[in-house]
Amino acid sequence: MKKEKTTIVAAGILIGVISAMLVFFGNPANMGFCIACFLRDTTGALGLHSAAAVQYIRPEIIGLVLGACIVSLITKEFRPRGGSAPITRFTLGAFAMIGCLMFLGCPFRMILRLAGGDGNAIFGLVGFVCGILTGTFFLKKGYTLKRSYKMPKLEGAVYPAFQIVMLILLVAAPAFIHFTEPEGGPGAKHAAILISLAAGVIVGIVAQRTRLCMVGGIRDAVLFGEYKLLFGFVAILISALVMNLILGAVTGTAFFNPGFAGQPIAHTDGLWNALGMYLAGFACILLGGCPMRQLILSGEGNTDSVVAVLGLMAGAAFSHNFGLASSADGPTANGKIAVVIGIVVVAVIAVVNSTRKAEA
Amino acid sequence: MMTYIATFYSHYGAIQFRKNCEKMNLKAVVMPVPRNLSSSCGTCVQFEANGIFPDSTEETEQIVRVEERGYVSIYQADEE
Repeated sequence: MKKEKTTIVAAGILIGVISAMLVFFGNPANMGFCIACFLRDTTGALGLHSAAAVQYIRPEIIGLVLGACIVSLITKEFRPRGGSAPITRFTLGAFAMIGCLMFLGCPFRMILRLAGGDGNAIFGLVGFVCGILTGTFFLKKGYTLKRSYKMPKLEGAVYPAFQIVMLILLVAAPAFIHFTEPEGGPGAKHAAILISLAAGVIVGIVAQRTRLCMVGGIRDAVLFGEYKLLFGFVAILISALVMNLILGAVTGTAFFNPGFAGQPIAHTDGLWNALGMYLAGFACILLGGCPMRQLILSGEGNTDSVVAVLGLMAGAAFSHNFGLASSADGPTANGKIAVVIGIVVVAVIAVVNSTRKAEA
Repeated sequence: MMTYIATFYSHYGAIQFRKNCEKMNLKAVVMPVPRNLSSSCGTCVQFEANGIFPDSTEETEQIVRVEERGYVSIYQADEE
């Protein structure tokens, strides 16, 4: 048990260091990793939304899935499964993304924003914890999306194979793939492909071995008084913060800028930062894990998680096609309406799927 | 008394199983699945029994007996 805790903390430290270094190598500030932003960029690169500033096939996503896939094949943990409420999972994924893009980041980036001194992420964290507590309430009431079933090997292999296709498209860059023009926005800021890919693979392997999950840490602490995963969460925060301070001292460029106004790819509306992450936390706990965990499980052959990831991508497309995503100027009216609708829909999903409590 | 761990397809299955254990006066605790038992991040029930414990349900994935040298499989759900 103690060894497992040490491993998780070491994994968190490694992931924090890698995340900070990715910014040094070219990723947007406080965005060494952001599963929501990177899935959104990839969605845009495929032409599924037309926000020209955020279009790029992010190699980190490819690496995360392939890293988890390779290590699970080696450890014989690649077990294709699926069939547990796919449409509900798709819907939860879509609304989780809408919540993330209200805040401008997934739970992973929320930690990295905190490590970069972005005080607005404190509001996000408060909302995120409240969302998880709400979801945990329904878990205790018997919430379930019913069991998954064994699937053919091919079914589990499709999504990892899709990542290889994405890598080919990234390198070949055919004309039908959309990439943000240089200086055209966050999509144009990225580390070199090999660096990003290697970072993704390493984090994918580490996350598969340790089951690191931004949602699971708080859930396990609340449900079982088990803090192992939460220590991983804290280790990422501390190591990214220390790395930001070191990088600032070495390069002369501030990687840690404490404050609220003028933070990179962030806005200062505390209420909607909190509500966006409330929706993300609530939806993710009903899915069983944060967006990064969904990618890792997808790499292990879990097609329920693939459906959740497809939902996240659809949510990204909706967000940019319908003007739901926030910007540095703040949230949009459409985005506020979508987040409120999302909270209602996720609550309905939670209530309806908790009705078997009387049988327990 | 021997120690067993049961894993489930859902958190709900674990809660239900623990209640069934308690009905049989078996000491049972709900906790995260140990990493060396599964890569899933679900919920399991660790319980003490003398070979007699609640029947598995459609939510039960597997039941193992905990021994010093590792886990001994007692029940594995038909996956097909």
